[in-house]
Amino acid sequence: MIIACTIVGACSTDDTANFTLPDTVDFNYHIRPILSQNCFLCHGPDPSSREADLRLDTYDGATTLTDNGKIIAPHKPSKSILVDRIKSKDPDFQMPPPASKKNLTKKEIALIEKWIDQGAEWKEHWAFIKPNIKNGVSDKFTNLHQGIDHFVDKELKNQKLYSAESASINQLIRRVSYLVTGLPPSLDELEKFANPNESSYESMIEYYLNSPRYGERWARHWMDLVRYAEHRGHEFDFMINGAAHYRDYLIRAFNDDVPFDQFVKEHLAGDMLETPRINLESGINESIIATAYANLGEGKHSPVSIKEEEATRIDNMIDVTSKTFQALTVSCSRCHDHKFDPIPTSDYYAMYGMFESTRIGPTALHNLNLVKKASEEILDLKANAKNDIANSLLNNATTLSIEASSGIKEFIESQDDNSEFELHGDFTSGQWNGWKVDGLAFGDIPNNNTLAIHPENRKIEIIPAAATSRRVSKGVLGAIRSPNFIIEHDTIAIYAKGENSSVRIVVDNFLLIQNPLHGTLSKNINHEKFKLYKLAVSYLKGHKAYIEILPGDYRRHEYRLDSLAYVDVQYAFAYNEDQVLDRLEKKSSQQLIPISIEKQKKAIHAWKNNEATDHDIDILNAAIVKNKNLYKTPSISNLEASLIRNYNVLKGSPMIHTMSEGEAVMSPVFIRGSYKQLDSTKVAHGFLSAPQVDTPQYTQEGSGRLAWAEAVLHPNNPLTSRVIVNRIWHHMFGRGIVETVDNFGLQGKLPTHPELLDFLAVKFIENAWSIKYLIREILLSSTFRKSTITNEKNNELDPENYYLHHYPIRRLEAEAIRDGILATAVEMDTTMYGESVPIHLTAFMTGRGRPQESGPLDGNGRRSIYTSIRRNFLPPMMLTFDMPIPFSTFGKRNITNVPAQSLALMNDPFVHQQAEKWAEKILNDKMITIEERIEHIYLTAFARKPAKLESEDALELLKELSNDKLSEAEMLNSLELWTNFCHTIFNLKEYIHLM
Amino acid sequence: MHKHNIRSRSMSRRELLATCGNGFGSVALMGLLGSVPFGNQLLSTPKIGSDSKLPHFIPKAKSIIFLYMDGGISQVDSFDPKPRLAKENGQNPYDKFEVEATQFNNVGKILKSPWDFKQYGESGMWVSDLFPNIATCVDDIAMVRSMTSEFPEHTNANYFLHTGSGIQGRPSMGAWVTYGLGSENENLPGYVVLDGGLTPPGGLDNFKNGFLPATYQASVLQPKEIPLANVIPNESHAVQTAKMKYLNRLDNNLLNKIGQADQIESAINNYELAYKMQSSVPELSNFKEESAATKKLYGLGSDNPHCRHYGAQCLLARRLVERGVRFIELTCPNTGHDRWDQHSNLKKGHEDNAHAVDQPIAGLLKDLKSRGMLEDTLVVFAGEFGRTPFAQGKDGRDHNPSAFSIWLAGAGIAAGTVYGRTDEYGYKVIENKTSIHDLHATMLHLLGMDHERLTYRFSGRDIRLTDVHGHVIKDILA
Repeated sequence: MIIACTIVGACSTDDTANFTLPDTVDFNYHIRPILSQNCFLCHGPDPSSREADLRLDTYDGATTLTDNGKIIAPHKPSKSILVDRIKSKDPDFQMPPPASKKNLTKKEIALIEKWIDQGAEWKEHWAFIKPNIKNGVSDKFTNLHQGIDHFVDKELKNQKLYSAESASINQLIRRVSYLVTGLPPSLDELEKFANPNESSYESMIEYYLNSPRYGERWARHWMDLVRYAEHRGHEFDFMINGAAHYRDYLIRAFNDDVPFDQFVKEHLAGDMLETPRINLESGINESIIATAYANLGEGKHSPVSIKEEEATRIDNMIDVTSKTFQALTVSCSRCHDHKFDPIPTSDYYAMYGMFESTRIGPTALHNLNLVKKASEEILDLKANAKNDIANSLLNNATTLSIEASSGIKEFIESQDDNSEFELHGDFTSGQWNGWKVDGLAFGDIPNNNTLAIHPENRKIEIIPAAATSRRVSKGVLGAIRSPNFIIEHDTIAIYAKGENSSVRIVVDNFLLIQNPLHGTLSKNINHEKFKLYKLAVSYLKGHKAYIEILPGDYRRHEYRLDSLAYVDVQYAFAYNEDQVLDRLEKKSSQQLIPISIEKQKKAIHAWKNNEATDHDIDILNAAIVKNKNLYKTPSISNLEASLIRNYNVLKGSPMIHTMSEGEAVMSPVFIRGSYKQLDSTKVAHGFLSAPQVDTPQYTQEGSGRLAWAEAVLHPNNPLTSRVIVNRIWHHMFGRGIVETVDNFGLQGKLPTHPELLDFLAVKFIENAWSIKYLIREILLSSTFRKSTITNEKNNELDPENYYLHHYPIRRLEAEAIRDGILATAVEMDTTMYGESVPIHLTAFMTGRGRPQESGPLDGNGRRSIYTSIRRNFLPPMMLTFDMPIPFSTFGKRNITNVPAQSLALMNDPFVHQQAEKWAEKILNDKMITIEERIEHIYLTAFARKPAKLESEDALELLKELSNDKLSEAEMLNSLELWTNFCHTIFNLKEYIHLM
Repeated sequence: MHKHNIRSRSMSRRELLATCGNGFGSVALMGLLGSVPFGNQLLSTPKIGSDSKLPHFIPKAKSIIFLYMDGGISQVDSFDPKPRLAKENGQNPYDKFEVEATQFNNVGKILKSPWDFKQYGESGMWVSDLFPNIATCVDDIAMVRSMTSEFPEHTNANYFLHTGSGIQGRPSMGAWVTYGLGSENENLPGYVVLDGGLTPPGGLDNFKNGFLPATYQASVLQPKEIPLANVIPNESHAVQTAKMKYLNRLDNNLLNKIGQADQIESAINNYELAYKMQSSVPELSNFKEESAATKKLYGLGSDNPHCRHYGAQCLLARRLVERGVRFIELTCPNTGHDRWDQHSNLKKGHEDNAHAVDQPIAGLLKDLKSRGMLEDTLVVFAGEFGRTPFAQGKDGRDHNPSAFSIWLAGAGIAAGTVYGRTDEYGYKVIENKTSIHDLHATMLHLLGMDHERLTYRFSGRDIRLTDVHGHVIKDILA
């Protein structure tokens, strides 16, 4: 990609202007934008809307021979039908037709003619060609930043533009500090870095890149891409479990400079990595946290169509995923093939299947090593205790009686070949029957008569053959999930016991289960004896579903796992209403059956030999209750001690909802995007077709996310590294090399510096996908260090500064404005991570799901990234300054100018409060003259000293504010006066702009 | 504020050059004029391209007042009489027609309307006893009995009604209108929501700019002493004036110091507007200049506090129209029921809500008419969906997106028309099925805009308020 781009976008409306044509017309830069914009709607990749069976998006299509000649005849514009048609004035003949309300300009027509005349060379869309550095170019530069300057200067020269001077060191310190950390430089930093004897520019960059504040700044950039929120919006704004842990993950990942390829892999398939990245400090699995990004979308609690809700949810995941990682708008292909880009609907539904095969549920953030160690220790101790218990029971056997068996086993066994009944799981068999086991609670195989000991009530129990979450201990997180099935029966039942635990029927991956419509899909398990839990599902017959059984429960959709929660399950099945089952339930509280000592001994021996039946276990448990000596056996005491010692390791970990593997579901294409109209064939999982990555091995098992991630990171993928380096460039210069950072498709903008983009993309990978490396090199470039002052000629030739003849002035982002105010007022609490600070509610924030209590006006002085993000109660000041509403990927924020911004800075109580806090500190300092104060304030706010005139203006304002009535000493001591002055400083444009 | 000086004009030119090649309609371009806070200079902007002439054709309406009936009024109890419900009251709906899934799926028996219907005016339009005052205005109204929605849940249906899309984050209709036309008042925003007390499900996102520039979001004015956040100074007039003077001087110094300054310049202009809004916004609710008769007309003297409250909102709406505000939406007052969403206790709930809004709305129509303002003001009365003809439980009605009634009045509307028909139960539309997209297309049409040409490039597409749908409802146009 070496064509210098002389016009950034062909202008279709500038009809009257004189124009000059480039010497060589380039298809990608000059022609395709015209065709895409004006022709592709009817003659593009989507066959459903194609007219006259003519397509202009391929060379073959465009050079078709018709009865009247070729549509485009290379080298022969006069013989090309296309030229006739676009030049025609006859409304019946003219293209584009008048009804399309599109018009080609004279220049566009001339470009097309010249291009045909030069041979009508066709090229693939630039973004789908692998980044490439011309031979020898790379060797010219020892460092990346030299390359940056080379390519930028080359283009400036081509355009006859002059480079601005370097900015002052003070300006650069403020610029770097804000861009790298989102905060203004402190006075100490300023003093140090502005002094060439004490520090160099390079060491200043290193200082800021190593600041923990860096991760907080760059995590927020990423959060814009993944529509980060902590609540789901809709009627009641329910919470998203553990979202803040994902935010913390991002901050750590940026601060640790996790290689971007690893970061991508973690997002798409962090739950599937063979060796996940373990946090060295806390021991938690970092990789899996990243997968939470998919779960941050909206959600509603009572969809009338549960399938449509799934389609909406997955559509959002596809939209966010394809834009964030590939800068492609795959969601445009939901209803039809993409109108402009080579993205067929099958690409969309391949991704759809990927997310449809993915399940979402809680993951505990605990120290993996410690948990494994504790579990092993406890399981060993349990095995050791078995003999002691058996011996003690043998030695102390007395008469006892037990309840008759419920007959469940006989019921299940009698149900063979019966359309009224379907067995989904029999965990007495020692097999999982295809169920997926998540977390550590349930173990690799279903329990076979494990011992359960509960120190809190000194209870010992032997668990019959069952899936149990208390294999090690109560309160441990895990879940078992059935294979997918189609609901065909009226009721799903499980035979289980437990405490504060749940069984949920997850239909079409719908998780916000509750009344009024879907309350029957979940039941709490809260009974110490086995019984049937029945869930009515007849209204969802024909839907895809799986059964989820887990300790813990959901309250207002917040998942909680208390320390006593556990669940034991023997069977899961579906059936139609049945008399047998009713009898089974009535039977369960019957009279007691006496058990002889001999029978007890038989049962004990059976248990020792791992051959115990449920009946034997009932006998053992009855004997245990009567045996007062058990607790005195040393092996039990050891076990109890271990459980108590490991209490904090096993229980009470933070939770986050992440992705896990379900069964492979291949989705059919939804005809015209409607979930009600399905195509007959299903689309296999696979990667997007346009980037032409060698197809990785899709096993067509599970979701295929790992393979998708590998395709994103494949050496032939032309997009991934370009997309991320462009995003970083965008943040450094306020505009990407490709301005449409989320869309590299045909409707996106063309790169202003294609060679530079490729150079950066290649070097980025060579340097281990290090984001800090790239930022450092950009900061070191002279291009970055230019001042904001430019000259008239530059302004005339390139008013938009596409070629970077100077550094662009930018308004700071919402977070940088608020955080900057806190930092300036020295009121910032730099505590990192953790629960979000509740949003401060004003009288203007109303609606359902409003939090009971308002958060603090100053957000406890924490950085904005730690303010809670509730979809229905977004922070007003942030929104006013263009924080995006979290519904889709926003790689490029709007930058608006609205009076609400002015009103906020003028009148918002937060701004006044911080002005006063700042003034208090100024009054406490040692400066003795007003001039010194003013200088101090200027340095703090603007990282520079005031000019003489500015000092005089400031003094004048101070006098006016004190009505000329105060003496200098009184002025120095007036809090009100300095509060007003500091408040005015916050309102100066310079304060919220980066120079 | 600075108007049309050379700098801002040259910027608009540059914005054009920067954006048009990749498909911004020139309407969108207007939105990027940073120095025009509400896009309100659109009409006087020089001609740029074939599509840039806005309005696209001669408008009938200058402003829209959208009376949002949050929760979903029952059509069969208000504007769509169904005698068969009375005949078959208490019978099983499953014996009569195919019943679709509803939000609560607690389907009861067929439920007759608790209200009688009568014919009114020269048009003979049927209105139930719920709305005795609106009934006196039927000859100014076009009734659409065949409106449908795509969503049976409040939040999606609200987003759909407000933004033309069932999901969060799209620009609302008021944002599109101001994006296209701007405001005619330099001291007030072009799109105002008068918060009656109830924020609809889906929250303030119903009124947001979505992906359009933030300039076009609604300013939500609350029925409080301070109607808008941060609009009341936190300091004395003298102090603020001194600060403003200083800011102006220093900011302009900055402007002169640097070569590229559009961003700074428009920020400076916004301070001037913000400063003016501190007086222009509170002045809105100063009703001293309104006559006693006018106040009475709107129900300000009513015994019912909700009626007084909503009456004040309606009067405020008229005052906003007088001041050139483009799009005004009124949300419902809180009468202690859950909006119009009567899943139970239909009679009491609908009655209390109707008492609150009936007189004020009739008053608004009459007042606008007598002042000659109805000619160029469009009034729209609509909820997000209708309700079922059968009961939910015993005495409620569930959501019904398959058929409901809305009405329009004023500019360009064929007064006294009834459009569309539902089946004998009022359950489904059987004639002239109409969609929310059609309503939006019609509203834009009356404002002089072609809904297919009012576009904004986002996410690789030129997006419209009406997506890829919508037809102007020609039969209700005068």
